[in-house]
Amino acid sequence: MTATFALIVDTFREAMARKIFWGLFGLSLLMVLFFLFIMKIDVVEGATATITLFGQQAGPRDGVEIDRMVKQVHSSISTFLYSFGMFLAVFASAGLIPSVLEPGRIEVMLSKPISRAHLLMGRFIGNVLVVSCNIVLLVGGVWLIFGWKTGIWSPGFLVAIPTTIFIFSVLLTVVVLAGVLWESTAVSTMIPVVIMILSPILAQEETARRLLSSEWSRQLWLFLYIALPKVFDVGRMTLDITLGQGAGSWWPIWTSGAFGILVYGTAQWIFEKRDF
Amino acid sequence: MTAELAIETTDLRKVFRNRWSGKEVCAVENISLRVNRGTTFGLLGPNGAGKTTFVKMLLSACIPTAGTARVYGKDTKDPEARRPIGYLPENHRFPTYFTGAGMLDFYAALSGVDSAKRRKLIPELFERVGLDPKWMDVRVGKYSKGMLQRVGLAQALIHSPTLLVLDEPSDGVDPVGRRQIRDVLHALEAQGVTIFLNSHLLQEVELFCRDVAIVNKGRVVLEGAVSDLTAGKGYKLVAMNGSGPKEWNLGSREEANGKIDDLRREGFSIESLVPTTSRLEDVFIEAVQGKK
Repeated sequence: MTATFALIVDTFREAMARKIFWGLFGLSLLMVLFFLFIMKIDVVEGATATITLFGQQAGPRDGVEIDRMVKQVHSSISTFLYSFGMFLAVFASAGLIPSVLEPGRIEVMLSKPISRAHLLMGRFIGNVLVVSCNIVLLVGGVWLIFGWKTGIWSPGFLVAIPTTIFIFSVLLTVVVLAGVLWESTAVSTMIPVVIMILSPILAQEETARRLLSSEWSRQLWLFLYIALPKVFDVGRMTLDITLGQGAGSWWPIWTSGAFGILVYGTAQWIFEKRDF
Repeated sequence: MTAELAIETTDLRKVFRNRWSGKEVCAVENISLRVNRGTTFGLLGPNGAGKTTFVKMLLSACIPTAGTARVYGKDTKDPEARRPIGYLPENHRFPTYFTGAGMLDFYAALSGVDSAKRRKLIPELFERVGLDPKWMDVRVGKYSKGMLQRVGLAQALIHSPTLLVLDEPSDGVDPVGRRQIRDVLHALEAQGVTIFLNSHLLQEVELFCRDVAIVNKGRVVLEGAVSDLTAGKGYKLVAMNGSGPKEWNLGSREEANGKIDDLRREGFSIESLVPTTSRLEDVFIEAVQGKK
């Protein structure tokens, strides 16, 4: 337990030493503070009477249903998390795995009475927790502020916390595998980013089935769609839950999870056999 | 398998294979080595002889192609076998975001030392390795090479190991620091800690180690007690009296000591006593060039 805690704390320390993590936290904090101090909402009989920005009335003039406005803000935050936020988190985390494998550093860690699996898992958990803190700060902060200012406590938005952490963890397994294989921050960043970019394209599976002419290309598309993590689908699912439309199928979660387990298992297997 | 041995390797072999070309290089070839508990052991060899690969296999940082490595009777594949080991690598790269104390705290925690003990040990170790405790809260990125070496040694000692594996421990350390490190190691030796030194500084090994093994091209070409391997070599003694300096060539350490005692009684003052050659160096060169 002491060693696991030490590995997690070490990951936090390294993350904080990297300026990009401060950037991530700064961005989240800025958004939270924006909603806390800058935006003032006056609610009259369940509708937004005025929204004030920097002391200036910014509308709406006719009054918008407060419930709808809160959901719109929540869904915007969810969309941000699954696009730009996820990219930033992967970009910020990609160096944390290769750095621990640097010659002169890894040997000292391997000389300690901990297994390689323990070491890798400690680093992985630490990395997930660092990003989780950021997600909790942003989602939790916005949720609390809007609840406090409007009296509307929309629990669906909080689903963004576990689903975002989950999909980040799945992408992080790719970072771990690439890091263990190539010890390169650039490669560890590129592969999950490519997966993120491919995700909304592959999700158009029904359209692709109609447009693709050959059977093998349709099968390849389907295979990639099933096999790769469904960042887009899980994001859409989160958005639906946020908007109170229900989760729909949990299939993107199971298949993405299976992908993560397989990739992490492969990374660990390679790490166990590697020479340093 | 006896626990009288701190380290025991049997036909330890490591072949590196290029992932693309398939070309193989044998770095360590069937090394069988026994290091007694409580001894000071030096592993010598020219660059590329396989010393570091051998050490890494002891620590399980490198997976043996064949053979076994045991520490106090336990296979080094078992993480528990590494609990009694303190290790300082040659080209260490400690994360620069650590403060000196933070770094020691982290590595001690990885070794399972509880937090109360860590808090007590860290300032003690700073002083023990000759570092001013005011550096405890300074980031290691600000440390000089010599200071890094000292804090690295402290890291290796933080969990009170009974086997210390050191790769070039005095690299980058000034002469005073070298002496301090040697004193620390001597104190550990007196406490019964086994010290395994991997160094290219032959004089350092000769001064400090009781036993040595010389490795060349992945094989042990010579091993034994330093005193046995260097037996028969001499010293040059220079002493002065009223009629000026005089020189004596003496065959052994004992003979030199005897002569010094005699000369002191006769009123000579000792000017210098130097080995007529760097004795282990001769043995080393003969061994790696195959002249012996």
